Amino acid sequence: MIHKHTRQRMTGLAVGALTLAACGSDTTPSDADGTVGPTPDAGTVTVYTGRHYGIEPVFEAFTADTGIEVRFTTGNDPELRERLVVEGTNTPADVLMTADASNAELASSAAVLAVVDSATLAEAIPAELRTDEWFSLSRRARVIISSPERVTDPPTTYAGVGDPEWQGRICLRPSTHPYTQSLVASLIVAEGEERATEIVQSWVDRDPLYINSDTDIYQAVADGECDIAIANTYYLGRLLTEDPEFPVEIVWPEQDGNGAHVNVSTAAVTRYAPNPDGALALIEWLATDGQKAFADANFEYPADPTVEPDPTVAAWGEFVADVVAVKQLGEFQPTAIEILSATGYE
Amino acid sequence: MTSAATIRQRTRSLSGSIVTFTIALVVAIPVLVIVWSIVQPSTDVWRELWATRLPGMIGDTATLLVTVVAGTVVLGTSLAWLVTAYQFPGRGLLGSLLVAPLAIPGYVLGFVWLDALQAPLGARQVRSIWLCALVLTLTLYPYVYLFARAAFREQSQRVVDVARSLGCSRTAAFRRVVLPMARPSIAGGAALVGMEVLTDVGTVRLFNVSTVADGVLRVWFGTGDRNAAAELSVLLIGVALLLIAGERLLRGRARYTQSGTTVGLHVHRLSGSSALVATVAGWSVFATAVAIPIIRLIAWANEARRTSQTTTVAGDLPFHLLSSLRMAAVATIACLGLGVLLVTGLDRRRASGAVVARLATLGYAVPGPVVAIGVLVTLAALDRSGWLPADWILVGSVAGLVYALVVRFLAVAYQGIDASVGKVSPSMVASARTLGAGRFRVATRVELPLAAAGVLAAAVLVAIDTLKELPITLLLRPFGTETLPIWVWQATSESLWVQAAVPSLAIVALGMVLVGVLLWTLERGAETVS
Repeated sequence: MIHKHTRQRMTGLAVGALTLAACGSDTTPSDADGTVGPTPDAGTVTVYTGRHYGIEPVFEAFTADTGIEVRFTTGNDPELRERLVVEGTNTPADVLMTADASNAELASSAAVLAVVDSATLAEAIPAELRTDEWFSLSRRARVIISSPERVTDPPTTYAGVGDPEWQGRICLRPSTHPYTQSLVASLIVAEGEERATEIVQSWVDRDPLYINSDTDIYQAVADGECDIAIANTYYLGRLLTEDPEFPVEIVWPEQDGNGAHVNVSTAAVTRYAPNPDGALALIEWLATDGQKAFADANFEYPADPTVEPDPTVAAWGEFVADVVAVKQLGEFQPTAIEILSATGYE
Repeated sequence: MTSAATIRQRTRSLSGSIVTFTIALVVAIPVLVIVWSIVQPSTDVWRELWATRLPGMIGDTATLLVTVVAGTVVLGTSLAWLVTAYQFPGRGLLGSLLVAPLAIPGYVLGFVWLDALQAPLGARQVRSIWLCALVLTLTLYPYVYLFARAAFREQSQRVVDVARSLGCSRTAAFRRVVLPMARPSIAGGAALVGMEVLTDVGTVRLFNVSTVADGVLRVWFGTGDRNAAAELSVLLIGVALLLIAGERLLRGRARYTQSGTTVGLHVHRLSGSSALVATVAGWSVFATAVAIPIIRLIAWANEARRTSQTTTVAGDLPFHLLSSLRMAAVATIACLGLGVLLVTGLDRRRASGAVVARLATLGYAVPGPVVAIGVLVTLAALDRSGWLPADWILVGSVAGLVYALVVRFLAVAYQGIDASVGKVSPSMVASARTLGAGRFRVATRVELPLAAAGVLAAAVLVAIDTLKELPITLLLRPFGTETLPIWVWQATSESLWVQAAVPSLAIVALGMVLVGVLLWTLERGAETVS
């Protein structure tokens, strides 16, 4: 457990809360016990993170390596961004970590990220996966999955998923999820808005089953609820750990074209970070010494291509990834959402 | 002629009005911040929404609202009547256990049943608005059940006897006398259910149901357009106000008070097949809403332990438990204190009193995530205003979080306290006033002691609500506060249902303890009255 403070005094707080609400003024519990206010000391980095799977052990390893403590709060990416925006200079956050590129780009547009000049990061992270504000730490592919028992000739392109032969046989993630939105954004980058709309429309016309969980999508393919689907690879990693014979097959899409859609987990120093040096130290560590642990925790691909992925992941083989689109995903997300709405994608 | 005493009294009631108005305003600010957004409407977003998803959202919301309100009214009222008017084996125990679904968050019941029915029904059929309505009905009917049962218990056999002597059959007496007299209570419960349905964002998404509340999040998270999202939630506030108006209309001007010693309704002993039917019906509701889900969760918790999966999500039970308890305690005390101040300070007979009450309870009509953002914006503005002492940051402080929970749940405390204080005989209050006691003195010496059970019951309801609360805590919690619902969220947002079992069970267990306290209070209250 990393630095989880539990040192509030209840009675004082209750009174504080009551007076606050009663007087509508500026009453807050005493600062004496350190429960409010920005980062307590320079040896601590504060992280807002929209990625919350398996991060705690990685932060613990960072603390063990560097002596710098990490305290973090998890949340939904858009909410954490909103919080950074309204907090402004008062923010306690040094680092913003997002679970996808669009949210990093939106944070950048909202002017809450700092420009970072780091030779270490420039060397570790390929240029397609970083801007001067945010840095990818891991990659994941959103691929076509199919049942080897019922499907002999699965589609090899995202457009192929909408072919008439798949009528009533597809599982897709609802449009509320960023994974769906960024996949469509990548289609816009690769094929243009008009063609992307046609592709999404063809999916919708196949009467897909919408399931708001990639794990359940894998399960649905295994159970015969659908024959093909679009899902992220790392969920298969988790499922294979439990059942090495899990009956679902990965098809790398677009291998003759732009490559499979990839999205990234990112980290950035916040614009008003109270501890920017600590923040950069954490991000640099995650991009180098912590790279493998960070990616392996979630069966993802390290952002640094020279770092080996987990053996389970490596077993799926090499593939062409659409890294070119990564930095444009945020820009085209609003259009992607419009397309999803207009085509009646659930 | 104005006596000195009257002037003193008027001054007191003026200061009372100032206090209550200030409370109401402070609590309403985050919601008003949201409402304010319609001043600059995002017409483009609305046009696009109207052309695409909005009609569907409104349709789904209306369907869900109608079916769940109707479902809870029918289920809650008939179960309440069953355990009040009939004697059958296990009646006493069942009467208490039927309140238990209050302890189970809708999203937990939702994912348990979604998973259980996936195999027999098929993944496609299971994601339906009807199943979603069923799950919501099963978690929300206790609101109606509690109110209806209390109303039936208060009724006098004499009234029924009079009806029977006038030629009514048992059923006709129920339909024409007992039910109409319980109508205000049932309507009150139904209005609460309606609010819960309107603001639910956890359960609906599990079933692919796209409501307006879900649309608020869709617009806000998808486009980052906070303004458009806020406008959409104004639509919800509008519907909620209509609901309240509907409840008032249904309640009408009628006030049913009974005087003299009450003889409770006669209990009809069921035997043979009708006793069997009653027992089976009652227990099957309990099994579906409580027993089966808990068994399922226990099985998952075991599985999680066996495969040691708990290690992948931060799973420190005592730590989360303590966080949850602390938050629920502080928020409940705050809601209760303010609720008492509001109820005692307000003159409900005046129109201004009604407006102030409405203002203070607006937050209950707004989905949690929207309240969270309203509070965030309000507190952040205060933090940057320079009015606070240096180093005081409200966003992410305990005070900030408690404030947000008060904004959302003050309504629950207020309604509960108001209802029980309202039952204190007006003649007693009038006597006290005649003897020169001011409003607060009447409240502290007469009304609150008499309504103690109701006040405690309101506190328990607030505690249960805060214990289950997710979106507000998620956005505004201080570092070091990680409640049980946040643990559930961390697991379920990764579809790790098995790992969500332990924290879900902990929420249910805490909720059950609170439900026990609630029942004990109500029983005691019933004894005091009779």
